Amino acid sequence: MAGVRGRLPGAGVSGPIAAGEAERRPAAGIGRQRAGTAADPAPQPAPAAPATRFERLFDAFTARVQLPRQAAVVRIGIALAWGGYLLREWPNRRELYGDRSPWSAELAGKLLGETHAFTVLTWSDSRLWFELVYHLGLLAAVLLALGWRTRASSLLFAVTAVSLQNRNVLVGDGGDNVVHLMAIYLVLVRCGRAWSLDARRRRRRPPPGPTAEPRAVLDALATMVHNCGMLVIAAQVVLIYSTAGWYKVQGSRWQDGTALHYPLHLDYFTPWPGLSGLLGASLLVTFLLTYGTVILQVGFPFTLANRRLKNVLLALMMAEHLAIAVTLGLPFFSLAMIAADSVFLPTGVLLRVERRFGRWVERRAGRWVERRAGRPRQKQGREDEDGRTDGRQEGVAERGSEELRQASG
Amino acid sequence: MRVWSTPALLVICLTGAALLGGTGLFLGALFLHVAPANAVSRQYQGDLDAVVYPEFEQNWKLFAPNPLQQDLTVDAQLQTIGEDGQVRTRDWLDLTAQDIAAIRGNPAPSHLDQNMLRRAVDFYRSTHPEQEGAVVGPRGALAQEYLKRIALQRFGRTAGGERVLQIRFRLGTATIAPPAWSPEQVDTGVQYQELPWWPVSEDDYRGLG
Repeated sequence: MAGVRGRLPGAGVSGPIAAGEAERRPAAGIGRQRAGTAADPAPQPAPAAPATRFERLFDAFTARVQLPRQAAVVRIGIALAWGGYLLREWPNRRELYGDRSPWSAELAGKLLGETHAFTVLTWSDSRLWFELVYHLGLLAAVLLALGWRTRASSLLFAVTAVSLQNRNVLVGDGGDNVVHLMAIYLVLVRCGRAWSLDARRRRRRPPPGPTAEPRAVLDALATMVHNCGMLVIAAQVVLIYSTAGWYKVQGSRWQDGTALHYPLHLDYFTPWPGLSGLLGASLLVTFLLTYGTVILQVGFPFTLANRRLKNVLLALMMAEHLAIAVTLGLPFFSLAMIAADSVFLPTGVLLRVERRFGRWVERRAGRWVERRAGRPRQKQGREDEDGRTDGRQEGVAERGSEELRQASG
Repeated sequence: MRVWSTPALLVICLTGAALLGGTGLFLGALFLHVAPANAVSRQYQGDLDAVVYPEFEQNWKLFAPNPLQQDLTVDAQLQTIGEDGQVRTRDWLDLTAQDIAAIRGNPAPSHLDQNMLRRAVDFYRSTHPEQEGAVVGPRGALAQEYLKRIALQRFGRTAGGERVLQIRFRLGTATIAPPAWSPEQVDTGVQYQELPWWPVSEDDYRGLG
């Protein structure tokens, strides 16, 4: 196992957290060592024969949860974007989606009769049902961000988010569209494999024995669905940028280099007119940002063939979305876009983040959950998670906390 | 790698092939949907729509091909009837100004202020053909009722203590001035489109609070 992992380009992708339960035992201890130095304790039919290209592809598709950390970042980002939005709109929830909405249940019902869009909110017109769905949506966002029972949470998240949006499609914008799609895709992927309470719980359980075949088959099916889902998420992001970019190429304002000027002066998108004016004041800046945006959006899909270039463009796109968040007053749109973009974050960076902050955040979150559950912690130790962590896991925690100390010191 | 039994391998291979095929078809449909109308998308229009609508809609022409270059203003006016039976036409109320006031200086504007009225007007315009005598479809009626209720929610049930009889709108568009360095000359005055009076009944207020 370890040998194959070491040879694959996506090797870093399946570390101790991401590794499937069946392969967890060997992976947890030797994942960081040089490939080939550790012997796999599991019986191997042909230990010396190198896997063929097909076998490796088959293994990558059926047995490896690809990009678990990227899936986790998309999950956390989308959950925070939509959860933050629900929180922000809490005082307005009834006017937007509920009983006080100008888009009444009757009007919505007529449109839904044509579009056949899914919403549970039409099941009952009662205020109680609406409040229940809205608050379940908020709860689902929190649980999804934490990665608690991730599959169930993601399903609840998708059902509530899609239901609320479809109850009134006429108040949404591009950000809602992104959340809508990603919420559905997240149900399909194993987005709780890393950076989640689920992953933490899995690590703390004693390693499972060999899996029976029917269960292993189901596991392989779930992995395949995950891998297809990640492909769909990535392709969706590419489609977003390609569409936005290629249609801009045809626009006269993007061609003459003044396009940026207009959104900066639309009443509905200028929360800070002074800032917008300042940004659009210079001919050269306006021109560069206008042309830069088009080049970025059109070019991004093609840079996927070159890691370094892709990472530069990704950073630029995220920076542009941060700027849009502030200047155009679209924080939730921008956060949702950044979350979706995250599927292209390099694994190396995510691993660094994981080593620095992952363990720390997870421990904090775990303690919080334990406190909520009313279970007193057994030990007051510095980094030990409970009484039965074995030496290997403790070692990992040590290393993590050392790095943390160095980082803060 | 795990050694599978033949039935297990068969299940995995068949499912894998179906998943890959399904994923390919799905992504192909999304691509054809966002691509310009072409021979293939025309041929399979029905199938493509079945995949994309209602849950996989793709609206990614963000500020494309050109960004919006017009500011919207929506004014509404009420006609009320007093107890003496006299009908009064009230002053125009600038509804967009309320939105803009709520957005200014707000790091996270509400969809209520940023999207509701703006998109209701877009919806109204898209469902009301400009030509004289054009027939308004069923969605047109929804758009009209929606716009009316948005305004009524802001006005409340009475105006100056009198019952509301009718409401009308005027939709204004003002072209945004080009940048200072641009040689273009545009008229930035507001162009108004006045809509007819619409009757207001108790039903229109249902649920507005």
